[in-house]
Amino acid sequence: MNHVRIGLVVPSSNVTVETEMPAILSRHPQASFSFHASRMRMAKVSPEQLAAMNAQRERCILELGDASPDVILYACLVALMAAGPGEHQRVEGLVAEQLATGGAEARVRSSAGALVEGLQALSARRIALITPYMRPLAEKVVAYLEAEGFEVADWRALEVEDNREVGCIPGDRVMEAARSLDLTDVDALVISACVQMPSLSLVEAAEQELGLPVLSAATAGAYSILRAADLPVDIPGAGSLLRADSLQPAT
Amino acid sequence: MSSLSDQHLVRGVDHAAFPTFDPSGTVRFYRDTLGFPVVHSICAAGWGPDDHPDFIHFFFDIGNDDRVAFFYYFGLPAPEVSKGDVYAQFGDETPEWFVRSRHLAIHVDSEDHLLEYRRRLDASQWPVEMQIQHETIESIYTHDPNGYMVEITRALRPVTPQEDLDANLTIDALVDIVQRPGAGMDDLLVRKAELIVERAEAWQEGQVGR
Amino acid sequence: MTHRLFMLDVPENTSIAAVAEEVPGVEVDRIGPYFVIASEEPVVIDRRATGARHAVWYSCIGGLDGCRIVQWDKDALRLERR
Repeated sequence: MNHVRIGLVVPSSNVTVETEMPAILSRHPQASFSFHASRMRMAKVSPEQLAAMNAQRERCILELGDASPDVILYACLVALMAAGPGEHQRVEGLVAEQLATGGAEARVRSSAGALVEGLQALSARRIALITPYMRPLAEKVVAYLEAEGFEVADWRALEVEDNREVGCIPGDRVMEAARSLDLTDVDALVISACVQMPSLSLVEAAEQELGLPVLSAATAGAYSILRAADLPVDIPGAGSLLRADSLQPAT
Repeated sequence: MSSLSDQHLVRGVDHAAFPTFDPSGTVRFYRDTLGFPVVHSICAAGWGPDDHPDFIHFFFDIGNDDRVAFFYYFGLPAPEVSKGDVYAQFGDETPEWFVRSRHLAIHVDSEDHLLEYRRRLDASQWPVEMQIQHETIESIYTHDPNGYMVEITRALRPVTPQEDLDANLTIDALVDIVQRPGAGMDDLLVRKAELIVERAEAWQEGQVGR
Repeated sequence: MTHRLFMLDVPENTSIAAVAEEVPGVEVDRIGPYFVIASEEPVVIDRRATGARHAVWYSCIGGLDGCRIVQWDKDALRLERR
């Protein structure tokens, strides 16, 4: 059995990505995964704290590089999207350069880039979005995705600024937001554009209830990690994106 | 054949990299004295198979989006240098002209600009060691804190088309004769005369239509 | 002519060609962008008369046909039959 080491660069107050990513990937039929996180200090999801957090990236990559990971995921979507269009390519490039300069062979992904990759894999063009962010940051996320070529038909910002509270947003509040969206002609719903807002248990149920592909920052991150590791994407119960290579027809 | 196969596609020096054991002197020389901005840096460790210290890779802008870069390795002892630089050391028997043959030359557009860099260097602890007019260029030289020879140079006039022809004839002649045992300048000049007789007239005619 | 020296026609070299032309028995002709300095007899060109800087002087020769360099220093360039 393949073993894959995943390095995670996470905001210090994030508790969800280290819960959801192992939960998703432990269902993989062909590989086992271990998770190794390095943290960037961040408590409040404000533009100032996001910028200060990004400045800690190089240290985190140094720490993770020592563990010889196979794939590194920069697991804060809004930190990159708030910096403006193209930021995930720029940051992934810098991390890749840092790793390559030191002779590391890890592949580099980011949750911002992974969401774009996941939406493209679903051939989605018109999308809807739920974010936990304050409105100005949520608008930046919408603008970022539009710059990537998606049409954001409708979106909600739950306006929770304290990142610890984001980790405790109840699922019914997210589902309530999802049901309030106008999903007419929408190709895919991003039920959580944030790796800290818990949503894994909602993805499959929302897909059944709303009748369209549903993904989250976490399921998109898992998708991107599997592609980076050259593994088949075949994980049950976490939305159609993660069944991309499944031989079982989607139900 | 792709449409790129016969094109000269490269665009100058992305970066040329050197080790340093004196990063603060290197920053004072390139950034503070010459005024080359720091444009990039990488903090990395040796993650490959080799035993390798943590290091910083940092870059100075040398114009034209080109860069000169350095590696600083934490804890790596500096070599003793009596002749040469921190990358390459030579014994006393090695002649100075050979040691100086490997150097970095940075282009400026005018005499004013050359003299401005001369002024900056002369006011620093790395004053200009030589200012020389070559055939068609003028250059100043100094050594950076690592012992690397740095040249700043300007063209006295544009290169003419016949100089490109001449360079090609020289190099073709060199390649033709260099494998002969004991080949010297005389062999080159005799071979080059043959190439001039073969090609120079036709080249000149080819220029007329231009 | 048994001696031929080829010298690229660039501004730095024109004074050298001019001095050569004054030497008795020397003819200066052209082939493409090169001066051809031709003679039946050994040729001596005085560096000071040309006014050429060292870097120019020591890079002026493009090719030799029928002759060899027997002196090329700060004083003169001397060519003799090969």
